[in-house]
Amino acid sequence: MKTLVAAVLLVIQVYPIFYVVTSSMKTTDDFRHLASYALPSTFNLENYVKVFTTSSMLTYFKNSIIITVGVLIPLLIISFMAGFALSKIRFKGNKRVLEFLMLGLMLPFQVALIPLFTIFNNLGILNTYPAVILPQIAFSLSYSIQLFYSFSKFLPDEIIEAAIIDGCSPFRTFVEIVVPMSTNSLLTVATMQGVFTWNDFINAYTFTKSTAMKTVTLGLNDFVGFMGTTDWGATFAAITVTVLPTFVFYFITSKYMMSGLTAGAVKE
Amino acid sequence: MQKAFGRKKVILMFLLPALIVYILFVVVSVVWAGFYSFFDWSGVGEKTFIGIQNYVQLMQDATFWATVGHTLAYTVICVLIQVFGGLLFAIFLTRLTKGRALLQTLYYVPVVISSVAICQIFSKLLSVTPIGVINAVLSIFHADLATMEWISNGEVSLYVAAFVEGYKYLGLYMVIFYAALIGVPKDLEEAAIVDGANVIQQYWRVKIPYIKPVIISNCILVLNGSLRSFDISYLLTKGGPGNASELMSTYMYKQAFSSMKYGYGSAIAMVIVIICMVVGFTFRRVTERGETA
Repeated sequence: MKTLVAAVLLVIQVYPIFYVVTSSMKTTDDFRHLASYALPSTFNLENYVKVFTTSSMLTYFKNSIIITVGVLIPLLIISFMAGFALSKIRFKGNKRVLEFLMLGLMLPFQVALIPLFTIFNNLGILNTYPAVILPQIAFSLSYSIQLFYSFSKFLPDEIIEAAIIDGCSPFRTFVEIVVPMSTNSLLTVATMQGVFTWNDFINAYTFTKSTAMKTVTLGLNDFVGFMGTTDWGATFAAITVTVLPTFVFYFITSKYMMSGLTAGAVKE
Repeated sequence: MQKAFGRKKVILMFLLPALIVYILFVVVSVVWAGFYSFFDWSGVGEKTFIGIQNYVQLMQDATFWATVGHTLAYTVICVLIQVFGGLLFAIFLTRLTKGRALLQTLYYVPVVISSVAICQIFSKLLSVTPIGVINAVLSIFHADLATMEWISNGEVSLYVAAFVEGYKYLGLYMVIFYAALIGVPKDLEEAAIVDGANVIQQYWRVKIPYIKPVIISNCILVLNGSLRSFDISYLLTKGGPGNASELMSTYMYKQAFSSMKYGYGSAIAMVIVIICMVVGFTFRRVTERGETA
C-alpha cells in the first residue's frame, strides 16, 4: 500500500522531467506521428547538437553563472551577518529592525520594477550584470535573513563566549568560529536562493535586452519560430541542459539542507 | 559576549550592509513607485503631475478589480495545494521506513525546474492538437476529455495556472514540513502511543500542534508568494483568454511595460502593496490571536 502511494506520488512529481528528457530525443517526425506519451523511436541526440549550434547557449550559461554567483556571495555574507546579529546580540530596537526587514517578505517584487527600470535606464546600466544582480540580492534579503535568524538561535553561546574571552575580536569570532559552525545553514540558504536565481525570469526579462546578456531561462524561448511554432525537440533538449546544473547542485547539497532545515524548523 | 558584540560599532558593522542594500532597493523603490503614481508618464519625455487621477481611474477600472479577484482565488488554490499538499506529502514521508531520503529528493524535483521550463512543459502536456499526455490519460476515464481545452479556455485557465504554480512549489513546503516533523521530540510521540493514540491521533493531536509555528510561517510564505506570483500567468496562459487568468502583478506589468503607462502602472503597484500588507497583517493578527487563546 505504502509502496503504491509512493509510486503514484513519484510519477506525479517526476513525470514532467521524464517526459522532457525522453522528448528531447524525439525527431520532428516522432512529434508528428507518435502518441504524445510514446517514447522516442530512436536514441537521437540531434536536438542537443542543435541547441549548442543554433543558439548562444554557452553565452547564456556564462551569464547565468556570473549572475548566480554574483547574487549568492554578497547575499550570503550580508544576510548571515544580519541574521546572526539580530538573533544573538541583544540591543535596543532589535525587534524593530527585524520587523522592518521582514516587511520585504510581504512586498511584491514587481512593484519595484518600474522605478528600478527608470533608475537603471538613467544610470545607463540597463542590460548589464549589476542591473540583474542588485535587485535580486535586495529582494532575497528578507527570506535569507529570516532563515539565518532562526538557524543562529541554535549556535551555542558558550563557544562564542570562549572565543571572545580568548581575545578574539567580534569580527574574527564570526569568521573563524561562527561561520565554520554554520555550514549546514549556509548551504541551505545557498541552495534555495541559488536555484531561485538560476531560474529567475522576470529580472533578466526586464533588465536585459541583447542576446549577449540573456540567461539560460530566457534562452529557452529561442526555439520558438517567427510563426509561433515551437521546435519542441530542441526546446526539451535545452530544458534538459539548463536544468541539469540545478539537479546536480541540489542532489549534492540536499543532505546538508535537510539537517539545516531540521535545526531551524521548529524553534521560532 | 554581549559586552564584546553589544557595542554600537559592532552592531552597525553586522547590520549596516544588509540595511543599506534593503533600504536602497526595496524601500526606495516602493516610495519611488508611490511618487510616479501621481504622474501621467509614458516612460520617456515629460511627466505631468495629475494628482490622484490615476487612483480615481483605477477605482473604476473593472479589469483591475477582476484581476484582484483572480489573484485571491489563485492564492486560495495555491495555499490549499502547497500547504495541505505539502503537509500530506511530508506526513507520508515520515511514515515510510525505507527510501525516505531518495523519495524526498525526487519529490522535490519540480521545485528546481525554472518556471519558464515548467510552462513550456505544461503547454505541451496540456495541448489538444496534437493531443497531449494529460488529455490522452483523461480520455481513458471519459472520452470527451480528449478534446478538453485547458489553457485557452476562459472557464478554467485561471485554475490551471494556479494548479501549475501550486504543483511547482509543493515540494519546497513538503521539505520544510518534513524537516519540522522529524524534529518533533521522540518522547512526545512515545507518550502519545502509551496513552493509546492511534496513528491519526498521533499526528492530529500531537505532531501537527507541535509544528504549528512552521505551518503558520509556511502559510505566510505561500500567501505572499501567490499574491505576487507572475511567471505562470504571464508565460503559460498569457493572462488569457481575454483577461480570464490575468493577475494583479501581470496586469501592472503590461500596463507599464507594454502600454507604456508608467504612472498608471505605479498606481496599480501601490494598490498591490496595500493589498499584500493588509492580507499579510490580517493573517498574522488572526493567527497570533489563536496563539494566545
